[in-house]
Amino acid sequence: MSEAEITTNTGDSPNDLVENGLNKLVVKCKYCGSKILDKKLGKYILQEKELPLMQQDTRKEGEIQNEKVNQFYHVENMFTFDNIGFTHTVDCYKYLSCADCDAGPVGYYDMNSKHSYVALSRIEHA
Amino acid sequence: MAKTYDYLFKLLLIGDSGVGKTSILFRFSEDAFNISFISTIGIDFKIRTIDLDGKKVKLQIWDTAGQERFRTITTAYYRGSMGIMLVYDVTNEKSFENIKNWIRNIEENASADVEKMILGNKCDLDAKRQVSKERGEQLAIEYQIKFVETSAKDSLNVEYAFYTLARDIKAKMEKKQEASNPPGNRSGVHQLKDSDRQRKPTSWLSRCSLL
Repeated sequence: MSEAEITTNTGDSPNDLVENGLNKLVVKCKYCGSKILDKKLGKYILQEKELPLMQQDTRKEGEIQNEKVNQFYHVENMFTFDNIGFTHTVDCYKYLSCADCDAGPVGYYDMNSKHSYVALSRIEHA
Repeated sequence: MAKTYDYLFKLLLIGDSGVGKTSILFRFSEDAFNISFISTIGIDFKIRTIDLDGKKVKLQIWDTAGQERFRTITTAYYRGSMGIMLVYDVTNEKSFENIKNWIRNIEENASADVEKMILGNKCDLDAKRQVSKERGEQLAIEYQIKFVETSAKDSLNVEYAFYTLARDIKAKMEKKQEASNPPGNRSGVHQLKDSDRQRKPTSWLSRCSLL
């Protein structure tokens, strides 16, 4: 993961998804519907981060394809999650995956702060 | 923020290399995500939330794959673990014989009252079977540990095994609390205190390993 600049900003939150700065709806896996995070437990933040794509093009060997992601739910304690997987550590980060179908990364975990960040674009709201 | 669970149990998967510990934790199989970024890096642990008799229980399940080539699991891995799944492969005699060695390793390194369960994995591969179910049961009786045959591939008995282990840990904890608290003075306070202690991140997790 590249060291993108972190600019925390809670303005401009999508009203249909965020209420009082927290996720209004349950966070689920896009693919299998596994419950990842209960409502009102993730703090909506804006920060630009590069996340590896969920599906990597295997023709490009040894090269990881990333995309920029801006909207996250910030979760301070990992045990707040209902069901989630943590990968092995890469450069002080662990990537988050669905505990049931292993789809991911749905976000990342920072080994230094011990906080987790779930990308809104990688999950489903229900 | 309010506490979102009643209990938190750290569980480990232990056994020889190739018995299917990773498959129990990680559904590698032939699904759409086989070539994903996640499967390349591999899963370290998972958090799962289950309901046990109306209590919300968080399970933190660790894979020890890659560690077992050292024939032992280091003390650091055992630290704070409350339950251990001892896994062998029913198509691999040696992995079954080694369960005894793993039990010795646990006795030497893990906390004395850790709950254990033996899993005879890959029971879907009946044609290749080298270890009968009866031998698995016999070993379990010898060590007074619960036993079940599983198939991570077919998701057979895997969930059952985790529920069973978690239920045994919960029962043991409640028994301990009862013993340490005089009757009539048993409130949620003690339970809360106990699980708060568990919530502290363990040092080996907080250490940032650079690859």
